[in-house]
Amino acid sequence: MRLALAALAALVLAAPAAACKQQGSQAYLETRLVCITCHTTLDESDSPFAVEMKQEIARQIKACRSNSQIIDSMVAQFGPAVLSTPQTHGFDLIAWVLPLGGILLGAAALAFGARRWQAVRATASDDSPQSPLEPEDERRVDEELQKFDA
Amino acid sequence: MRALRAVAVVSVLALLGLLVWDLAHQNGPGIAVKVDQGKIVPAPKLDLPLLTGAGRLTLASLRGKVVVVNFWQSSCYPCKLEARDVAAASRAWTAKRSDVVFLGVNAQDLKGPAHAYLKRYDVTYTNVRDALGSTWPKWGVTAVPETFFVDRRGRVVPPHITGQASRAQIDDGIRRALRS
Repeated sequence: MRLALAALAALVLAAPAAACKQQGSQAYLETRLVCITCHTTLDESDSPFAVEMKQEIARQIKACRSNSQIIDSMVAQFGPAVLSTPQTHGFDLIAWVLPLGGILLGAAALAFGARRWQAVRATASDDSPQSPLEPEDERRVDEELQKFDA
Repeated sequence: MRALRAVAVVSVLALLGLLVWDLAHQNGPGIAVKVDQGKIVPAPKLDLPLLTGAGRLTLASLRGKVVVVNFWQSSCYPCKLEARDVAAASRAWTAKRSDVVFLGVNAQDLKGPAHAYLKRYDVTYTNVRDALGSTWPKWGVTAVPETFFVDRRGRVVPPHITGQASRAQIDDGIRRALRS
């Protein structure tokens, strides 16, 4: 009898967990969503509206909704502005691509500049002949050197 | 090298253009300040989705009627305090005149609590939803509730009520808008 009661209790306690396999996480969602009145993530805000949003998230989690479902419902209400990071599709993709593009463009500009500078230096060294001395100057240099040798 | 220089110049010009555009599109203090000074000003554009049901509503579509524009949030305490008075005023005025309408602008609010608010305070007039509060700067709304009166020619006329509006203030505002 005791065993049957224990099994029944375990079944009753396990039922909500089993029903919510995809249940969202309050902590995760509070970092993914921003309070639209104060523009900080929910985990960093205690403004009245942030508190309301947290309560709404808690209510939806209790209703077995997943992270993505809850995020979608918030985006449906407030648009992408409610997300703490830009989306990875549509117009928001620019926010991800632009910095990467900038880095690549900068690297390409540096490489181009370096190659050009190297080419200019090589040309300059090829073009600079060993300036020949005038016979008179050469003679004077030889004389001076001979003085040192002596 | 010339190409690089051109890219740099174009980038700087684009950034400058962006800065100028941003400065040109700043809203300033909004119309509330002018209305508080007793001035009559054209109503800012208002084109928002309905809070309940599908579709949108523009303020321009209400031209020819006096419109009481009430900004509110479901979590705001003074909004709750005035809600029954505003709803009662709406019922009383619309029962006796067809050229007076009330328009609620629910801003920066969750849909669920906003719907519950309408039900709880028996708000039957049309409400639109401004999810991000984008209309606030142009109207000069700084905190809810705020109430404006738009005359039949689409102009905002004094008074502009900040905070909880009483029935007497609403009636006075409508009468002044009707005379305008």
